[in-house]
Amino acid sequence: MKKQNSNESTVKRFSKAFIISHWVNAFAFFALYITALPLYTDFFNWLYPVFGGPEMARLLHRIFAVLFIVPLFLLIIFDFAGFKNWAKNILKWEKKDFQFLMAFPKEFFLGKSKVPKQDFFNAGEKLNSLLTIMCTLMLIGSGFVMWFPGAFASGVVQWAYPIHNIGFGLALAVVVGHIFLSIGHPNSKASMRGMTKGDVPISYAKEHHGVWYDEMVKKGEIKEEKDKSKGA
Amino acid sequence: MAYAKLVDVTICTGCRGCMVACKNWNDLPVDTRDYQGSYQSHDKPNGKTWNVLQMKEYENQSGGFEWLFRHQACMHCEEAACVKVCPEVAITTTDMGNVVIDQEKCVGCTYCVQNCPFGIVELAEYVNADGEKAERAQKCDMCNDRIHEGLEPACAVTCPLDAIVFGTKEEMLELAKERLEEAKLTYPDAQIYDPPGVDGTNMIYLLAHPPEVYDLPPNPKVPTSAVVWKDYAQPLGKALLGVTTMAVFTGFITNKLFNKEGHGHDTEEGGEINEETKQ
Repeated sequence: MKKQNSNESTVKRFSKAFIISHWVNAFAFFALYITALPLYTDFFNWLYPVFGGPEMARLLHRIFAVLFIVPLFLLIIFDFAGFKNWAKNILKWEKKDFQFLMAFPKEFFLGKSKVPKQDFFNAGEKLNSLLTIMCTLMLIGSGFVMWFPGAFASGVVQWAYPIHNIGFGLALAVVVGHIFLSIGHPNSKASMRGMTKGDVPISYAKEHHGVWYDEMVKKGEIKEEKDKSKGA
Repeated sequence: MAYAKLVDVTICTGCRGCMVACKNWNDLPVDTRDYQGSYQSHDKPNGKTWNVLQMKEYENQSGGFEWLFRHQACMHCEEAACVKVCPEVAITTTDMGNVVIDQEKCVGCTYCVQNCPFGIVELAEYVNADGEKAERAQKCDMCNDRIHEGLEPACAVTCPLDAIVFGTKEEMLELAKERLEEAKLTYPDAQIYDPPGVDGTNMIYLLAHPPEVYDLPPNPKVPTSAVVWKDYAQPLGKALLGVTTMAVFTGFITNKLFNKEGHGHDTEEGGEINEETKQ
């Protein structure tokens, strides 16, 4: 704990609605994962008694499925600007985004790399968002079919199973990386504060989201940081 | 050794003795239906009625009327889709080739119901030793308890015309070929139904007409979706989780080794931020 950091100025990154949506969605994701785990592999069959039997596990899975979808609407209703910014941002792919991804492995393993200035969401966050959206669509679409098999042709129901399976397999792989980068990796740990308190240190914004930082300086929302460091 | 049940529909008279014997031996509950406009009792086998005699009114090529009777039950596929998709390993193929469901392991997920190429398996109420009721997958097990004690399945014993015969698969195929020769004299389209798409079945038919006439799939297969799901998606998903977890561990260790200050992008602020978040 260094004293000089406690009064470091911060900048607002995410609204309350955005943060709540994120955590409700995250909670539902893991609740869904755990309630279905014994169906994925019988190694986890001991979870059935924990949930009160397979019927109860399936009921819980359906309840959490609804909880999983609700946050998106919360976000759209209570923070449409934030939603719009997110949607626009993750669909914008420029040269700098690809350069970020090229440099990412080095950054990830060694922690040092040259990366061009990034948007409000950097290319990694964009990729995470897009993969998550893709998986979510697969999961919700196929899950709906599995919930109401009587309403669909048997071929559709049969394909829903592998699609659900691929969806959560991929989603979990993405989530492992997402969690590590938020709480485990030294370079991006500060981002966690953005999803809890809603703000990030200005220095972090400058360093990881240069384009966003420049925009805010231009708008006069924050004062330009003096370059404290001499690191080349 | 694989055992099989040969059903010769060309000599079946539709007495439904097999249905009664099955209900009786397997202690299956009453399962009434309203009159559906046909002599046929149920539209197909289900969890409470493991075999149903199909009765079809059929007009043959010379314009004559034929009553088609077919004993329908689990086909006991060699390559069974239900066995493949069951997440609880509750459905297995025994050493005698019959496919059985362990209701104590079954959780009622209906994966087998959705993937059976013959639409045979269904859920029905199951009462366990503690008297607890639950919906569990049930179907014909070819009288597993009987055949493992050297007896024939109840339906085969009951059949008064030997339209249902039980023996080794080899014997049954031999017998089917013999009977086919005879049947061909009356029914030129007569054929043996032992579909190769599921690697053969352990209930084989001698049919008087092509399978479509009896609403049987001409080339049943384990659904491609089930193969994609169980042979590719699931192992790959597990591997992918392993790969990302390994990458994260490696990243954690390499950062400890080479990124001690925890700074990013060649600037100093990163280190301070790192400290900040630890507060």
